[in-house]
Amino acid sequence: MRPLVLSCFTTWILLGAVSAAGAQDLQPLPPLEAPKAEQVELGKYLFFEPRLSGDGGISCDTCHNPATGWGDGKPLSTGYPGSEYFRNAQTLLNAAYYKRSYWDGRLAGADLPTLVRDHLTEAHFMQVDGRLFAERLKQIPEYVEMFKTAFGGEPTFGRTLSAVTAFLKTITSRNAPIDRYLRGDTAALSTEARNGLVLFQGKAGCIQCHNGALLSDQKFHALGVPENPDLFADPLRHITFRRFFRTLGAPNAENYRQDPGLYGVTKEKADWGKFRTPSLREVSRTAPYMHSGAFATLEDVVAFYDRGGGQHPNKSPLIRPLGLTAAEKRALVEFLKSLAGDPVVIERPDWPDYQPRKLGQN
Amino acid sequence: MRILKFFFFALALGILLGTVLQAAEAPGQAKRFPPLGPLPPVPVPRDNPMSDAKVALGKLLFFDPRLSGDVSTSCAACHDPKLGWGTDQPISRGYPGAEHWRNSQTVLNSAYYAKFFWAGEVTSLESQAAAAATGNVAGNGDPIMMEERLRQVPEYVKRFKEVFGVDRPTIAMAWMAIAAFGRTVVSKAENVPFDRYAKGDQSALSPEAKRGLALSQGKAGCIQCHNGPLLSDDSYHNLGVPPNPIFEESPLHQITLRYQHVIRGVPESVYRTADRDLGLYYTTKRNEDRGKFRTPSLRELKYTAPYMHNGVFATLEEVIEVYNRGGADDANKSPLLKPLGLSDQEKKDLLAFLLSLSSDKPLIIEPPDLPGYAPMKQEARP
Repeated sequence: MRPLVLSCFTTWILLGAVSAAGAQDLQPLPPLEAPKAEQVELGKYLFFEPRLSGDGGISCDTCHNPATGWGDGKPLSTGYPGSEYFRNAQTLLNAAYYKRSYWDGRLAGADLPTLVRDHLTEAHFMQVDGRLFAERLKQIPEYVEMFKTAFGGEPTFGRTLSAVTAFLKTITSRNAPIDRYLRGDTAALSTEARNGLVLFQGKAGCIQCHNGALLSDQKFHALGVPENPDLFADPLRHITFRRFFRTLGAPNAENYRQDPGLYGVTKEKADWGKFRTPSLREVSRTAPYMHSGAFATLEDVVAFYDRGGGQHPNKSPLIRPLGLTAAEKRALVEFLKSLAGDPVVIERPDWPDYQPRKLGQN
Repeated sequence: MRILKFFFFALALGILLGTVLQAAEAPGQAKRFPPLGPLPPVPVPRDNPMSDAKVALGKLLFFDPRLSGDVSTSCAACHDPKLGWGTDQPISRGYPGAEHWRNSQTVLNSAYYAKFFWAGEVTSLESQAAAAATGNVAGNGDPIMMEERLRQVPEYVKRFKEVFGVDRPTIAMAWMAIAAFGRTVVSKAENVPFDRYAKGDQSALSPEAKRGLALSQGKAGCIQCHNGPLLSDDSYHNLGVPPNPIFEESPLHQITLRYQHVIRGVPESVYRTADRDLGLYYTTKRNEDRGKFRTPSLRELKYTAPYMHNGVFATLEEVIEVYNRGGADDANKSPLLKPLGLSDQEKKDLLAFLLSLSSDKPLIIEPPDLPGYAPMKQEARP
């Protein structure tokens, strides 16, 4: 009897906090508008298709692998062959929900086709000319047929972006314990996880930024996360880093020895070192953590917040030492694990081959 | 002033040699065309003067695959010194994942052209290097990425400073250095039988080759387009070169053929029916320019097979044969081409002459050791 009373009490506290705090609510993830099934199916093939990269060497799943939480499991992501990237590859799980895309929010989240385009055409990612891969796709009869079914026409640059976008919208959390809990199934969270939830909303203060259905305020904060020393010690990463900030028009990029984050986009000093709050959904599947991949485990992340973050001139005033006990830290981690739903497993399809076409009938 | 001097020098040399050659070998139509002769000193643009240090830097860069998208494809990948500074395939290899669509032209003596690529798309060695390194089926390099790579190589930083006086290498300067190197990849007259002959060594050409020279300026009419020291009028002609059947069969070649039509901005109706390389048409979008290509030099042909924009001819014998037939069928075919009625001996004579335009031994430069990356020091800027 007593546990039930306690859990009811906790729920009451939670709901009370919710109604008072508004934006700090935790909510179940609302379903996205279902994309057209034929476009999703085509997008799945294209997601795994290396002919969408400049040299045919990599595909979306090279850095967003379903088997490693739709990221690549590395602190810093690999870039285009001959390059190395300079930030952690973020999971694609629930990526379609963000208002801004990327760690620095440089693209509008509502415009997912442009996010796909950026990955395909940028020199540090897949470095392909969209006009070239459209012609490649036209050389594959199965794809010609699938484009016809999905879009009523031949393969094009734009339709390719739309198809991958449709697929992205299906890479979302399903059946997460937290969502069952928020819908009233109090048994969906263990006692320890419920304790973690209380800490999350209270003493640990996580909810200040990790709120809403996505558990992200969709804003930008500096935490003083340690940089990855490879950024400047590994020539291949430093090359990509400098090129990136030059193309953003950020001044004096060759002398940066920190990732400036949002500053690269806004060129406002106050934005130096700020990064977009990532969703905590599926977080137990998406190690390592932070823009620099600095933390290998959720325990490391919790310990970092418990210390009050790192050193940074722009560090958010929301970050301060928490004084968590070992049990509280464990409870928080347990709660974080309840944010993962059923694994979203997609098998890599077999690629259809190029075939000759009738010359002159294009 | 320097260019003017050079011009008069070339003119005087040309007149002198032309007089000699015409008097000795070829009465008739030869006099209407710039005369053959040894190559003059290589023309150098005023905004990219030559220096040994620049050439040495350009040589490194020519062989450096970091000047491509995925660090796989240096200039030398398609312009291999051991393969006549081209490839030995009809159609050049392309960037990984792609095939090119044209024959790789030799770097040898390219410094003398005023127009580059098979359809004269660019007008300097500098812009040729840039276009090839960034073209999506060639080098697929991103200019700023390549520039940052150069800045990450301390040896390059040092050499760019020596050569160009800059603290940071720029990609445009890399193209200038590569162009300067290209201007050293030229035939030397003392190595070329025809040039030795033109300078007065009667024994440098066999009797066959001498007859071939006369034919080239007379009955065979080669001189109409292959004239001047480079043996090219640097202009555009349609010969009705037959199609290369690889475009019927190879998916990757078909992809690139269509892609070229897209990026060159042809009308959709032209794209939909595209089945061949339209040459100069892509630049002018004039139907009368369909199938026109820039006349290539006849120098160093011994080392630069296969021939024509689509590499459709493996041997010089085949090339002579198609000219003897008056070229192939094409609505835009040059009126300069007509059946020649060459005898077998005359064809052999022409071949002997053509071979006399090549160096005795191929000009080969070995790939150098390339300098490596190193972490970059931070230097606060004022």
